[in-house]
Amino acid sequence: MQTVFVNDLEPFLSAVVGQMDVYYPRKIDSHYVFEKYNSSSNRKLEINNIRACTPAKEFLFPLRELAAVFPEPLEPRDIRPFAVFGLKDCDLRSIEVLDKVFTEKDFEDPFYIERREKMFIITTDCSEPAASCFCNVMGGGPFARDGFDLNISQVETGFIIEAGSKKGDEFLAKHSQLFSEAGNDVLSERQKNRETAQKQLEENNAELKFDAPVQEIVEKSYDSDVYDEEAATCVECQACTRVCPTCHCFYLYDTKQKDYFGKMKMWDSCMRLAYAQVAGGENPRKVLGDRLRHRFMHKFSFFLDRYGINMCVGCGRCVDAESGEVDIREVLKKLSQELLGKGGKKAEVAQ
Amino acid sequence: MNKNLYQPINGEIIDIIEESPTIKSFVVVPENDFKFETGQFVELTLPGEGEAPFTPSSSPAVTEKMEITIMKAGRVTALLHACQKGQKVGIRGPYGNGYPIEDFVGKDVYIVGGGVGLAPIRSLFLTLVDRVKDFKSVTCRFGARTPEDFIYKNTLFGSWRKIDGVDIKLTVDNADGKWTENVGVVTTILSPGDVDIKNSVAVVCGPPIMMKFATLKLLEFGFGDKQIYLSMEKNMSCGIGKCGHCMLGQYYVCKDGPVFTYDQIKKYPNIWD
Repeated sequence: MQTVFVNDLEPFLSAVVGQMDVYYPRKIDSHYVFEKYNSSSNRKLEINNIRACTPAKEFLFPLRELAAVFPEPLEPRDIRPFAVFGLKDCDLRSIEVLDKVFTEKDFEDPFYIERREKMFIITTDCSEPAASCFCNVMGGGPFARDGFDLNISQVETGFIIEAGSKKGDEFLAKHSQLFSEAGNDVLSERQKNRETAQKQLEENNAELKFDAPVQEIVEKSYDSDVYDEEAATCVECQACTRVCPTCHCFYLYDTKQKDYFGKMKMWDSCMRLAYAQVAGGENPRKVLGDRLRHRFMHKFSFFLDRYGINMCVGCGRCVDAESGEVDIREVLKKLSQELLGKGGKKAEVAQ
Repeated sequence: MNKNLYQPINGEIIDIIEESPTIKSFVVVPENDFKFETGQFVELTLPGEGEAPFTPSSSPAVTEKMEITIMKAGRVTALLHACQKGQKVGIRGPYGNGYPIEDFVGKDVYIVGGGVGLAPIRSLFLTLVDRVKDFKSVTCRFGARTPEDFIYKNTLFGSWRKIDGVDIKLTVDNADGKWTENVGVVTTILSPGDVDIKNSVAVVCGPPIMMKFATLKLLEFGFGDKQIYLSMEKNMSCGIGKCGHCMLGQYYVCKDGPVFTYDQIKKYPNIWD
């Protein structure tokens, strides 16, 4: 795989735009959102120092989409190839989670797969992790290791572009006239930047240390009152699940259109009261604390058991979006401390 | 494009049978032969209105049509109850696991059912009696609120009881003047002597409260947690283990169930809610 260097990203962006639709970050206040590139807007490409506040799932699993049509089945849609610029390591790991669910053998979601195949992933290194970022605790970091097509790292004099896939490598080869060789000086500068960001993350999360694997903490705390206590401040806005890049609950509903009947697929949230309710009125999670527990169990235990990876990537979006006072990091900390309090040897260490 | 699992196949309701004041059976003809295993469920769509999960009540040996017995319980089921013959519907599935019939071979199959829970049980019953000699017995204990609330009355009070190897007892919560059988909840007709517990499997399907107390009674009789099969009906929506609505602890009821042994799910609270 090639690693190249450019002074200016604009010609690179033009090359990508020439081949596919492009979504790139736009800064609004202190946050980034993705916006579709439009040649008339003339907006410059900027490197987002942290992840966008919107999750990458919206590119693969949109908020709302048509999933079936009656009486004639849905024709395959023509999805144009598209690139997303400015995704981060946490986004890549969230896509890995979604892949497990939506590309599972014999249970494939054709719409997800269609988009996934058309998606060209351009990641960028995080230079200034946010206060809510805790990816390092969840096995991630401030730069992508794999899973990208191209990764961009900003250095003083320009940008290092690294290919991470055959698609990315071919792209660099095709546009080789745009790039020069990435010398050792810029590569070591990149290394230094990455170490700085990593250190920053570690400092930010110095308090977030657990004496046992998170899965074990959550499983052993199944009956903990912490969930009910925490849920007391939850206002049920469901923002945590909306912005979560790995939450993938959805809701199927039927609609009447002028000349067809449609079945729609739309994001849903396990924090919603009637989420698990059945027609007869029974609801296994009527109590908000039970829904919060289920969310934690799914993220840190059930998903791991089923698919072998964690369902939290530590992006901290839910922390930023929270309208109440539920902080996923604090909940884990409280569960962990409570567990330590109960234990024998570990309790002594804690005191 | 991969096969679209959200796309139902077309079907038509060709007959509607009034089973009880709140329950109807719909005979649905799918556009193609539809294979399923007894205990699996389908998602039935009323186009433009909604979709809901049901376990077919007919025998899986019949593939050109299926019967779906539906209690009026919510919005979609109320709309289905208002349908006439000829109504076009959509069918997705079959989904989930069925009853592990081969594991029942040579054993007493002790079936405890109540209310509209007899719908999946009817499919199971028809499957079992097709090869009734393979089982030590098919012992049924069914309950309903009143005699009028029993579904499948013709066969339940008639032909099913004449099958060799089949033993059926019925009970109602509230009897009328003509009722000659037991009065009381379904657990009042369960007895440890009904079957050879060590060599039995129990199948329970019915309203949650009935399933709970029947399961507790079976445990009290000495049934093992792994000998009790429960057909769990949660809010199955996508049917393919993704949308999350039917999650029961770690399980997707739609994909890992709907048939579970008590052993699999007992550790989770609120399984009966």
